[in-house]
Amino acid sequence: MLKKFIHDIKRYFRYSWVSARSQLKSEVANSYLNWIWWVLDPLCFMLIYTFIFGFVFQSSEQYFPIYIFIGLSMWDFLNRTLTESVKIVKRNKSIVSKVYFPKYILILTRVWANGFKMLICFAIVIVMMIIFQVPISWNVLFFIPILLTLGLFTFGCACFLLHYGVYVEDLANVVNLTMRFVFYLTGVFYNIEKRIPVVGNALNSYNPVAFLLSSMRESLIYGKTPNCWLLLLWFAVSLLLCVLGIRKIYKEENSYVKSI
Amino acid sequence: MSEYAIEVKDLCIHYKGLKSYSIKQNLLRGKKNKAEVFEAVKNVSFNVKKGEILGLIGKNGSGKSTMLRAIAGIFTPNSGSIDLHGNSVSLLAIGVGFQTELTGRENIMLSGMLLGFTEEQIKAKSQEIIEFSELGKFIDQPVRTYSSGMHSKLAFSITAILNTDIMLIDEVLSVGDARFKKKSYKKMKELITDENRTVVIVSHETKTIRELCHKVLWINDGEMMRYGDTEEVLTAYEEFMK
Repeated sequence: MLKKFIHDIKRYFRYSWVSARSQLKSEVANSYLNWIWWVLDPLCFMLIYTFIFGFVFQSSEQYFPIYIFIGLSMWDFLNRTLTESVKIVKRNKSIVSKVYFPKYILILTRVWANGFKMLICFAIVIVMMIIFQVPISWNVLFFIPILLTLGLFTFGCACFLLHYGVYVEDLANVVNLTMRFVFYLTGVFYNIEKRIPVVGNALNSYNPVAFLLSSMRESLIYGKTPNCWLLLLWFAVSLLLCVLGIRKIYKEENSYVKSI
Repeated sequence: MSEYAIEVKDLCIHYKGLKSYSIKQNLLRGKKNKAEVFEAVKNVSFNVKKGEILGLIGKNGSGKSTMLRAIAGIFTPNSGSIDLHGNSVSLLAIGVGFQTELTGRENIMLSGMLLGFTEEQIKAKSQEIIEFSELGKFIDQPVRTYSSGMHSKLAFSITAILNTDIMLIDEVLSVGDARFKKKSYKKMKELITDENRTVVIVSHETKTIRELCHKVLWINDGEMMRYGDTEEVLTAYEEFMK
């Protein structure tokens, strides 16, 4: 399987890249504000959440707007990629039924496109860090392994959603609900350790998304070293998810065309 | 290099009862989803020599398109084997796959890459494709805005210009209006009769098959009825269809 995977990745990597680029271009081609939406959209959400949770609910996190912005950017990446992957085979029916390619390439395309949007957000995070004069430490370098883990985790989960999305008609509803629930268990706009007293700590370690979000915040704005062992653990789990997901797709992708 | 370009041996393709289901149905009915097996292609074997043109005939639903898709690698056979000896292959069928949100130009690039061409090769040929398709300034519009005629013209042009060693043609020998039909048929004939190209044509037009093909394979309900010289098989087929 590994040999096949390497061969396929070599052959289709550029395709996923070019396809993502075209999709991004087409997304903004017909709107007035164009690519500014990629910046404006998360920025406005950040302002709303900052207002609600910072002002109305009196949240006391330091650098609260950056705190929220980091959470939102990473969450959006995960959420978008996962919800899109449920219907991705059906949406690309016209290509899937005409030529063979490994179906996880479709996910890869979305990972690039959504990842690009996330990177724009992180560029804004950097600007905000300069404005708020956040002290920087070497810990910001954890940025890279954390994002890598998030990417792998998302890809792995998306592989399974792609597969079951072909057969289960209403999986999209379930995924939407689940994602909403996970959203609140992740602490995108509040500190779960402080707000959920008993299980907060556990959630922070055993909900990978929450863990990755809080690690990112610690390393970027609070100058702390994240829990390396836990990060390594989640990296390994994500890698395993990817391997299992890709294996599942290789095994079953043949019958996708027959069922859509 | 083997003499044959396509070798198909004991090919069987099943469609299992892979109907999609909803979670509610599944819960109510319990775990058991009865899988009906439908055999679309049963024990078909044939070889196509390099440069040969094979016609594939049979009534609707007899498994012709399924077989083409299997040869194109879109799904693997349930049993039996298909050996293409490393030749590149493309399937031309009605409504070739486009990402409708993207422009025609971008779709040329993406379709080409899926067919296994490099970006440089496609770039070098894209002007030719655009000219052949006669789309003009529409090439930079999203494909969803195209009329069905423009859609098929573009699809045809991509397959015609970015040609592969093996071409599988499903009913589409010419597209568009009367003038473009003539032009595309001419181009297609030129491609098909190229000595180095192996072609499999599915068509209901016995006239075209008679004109173009060296050999004909007739399948009925997934089973091989006859395989041999064009005239012989077509006569039997025409007799059968009366």
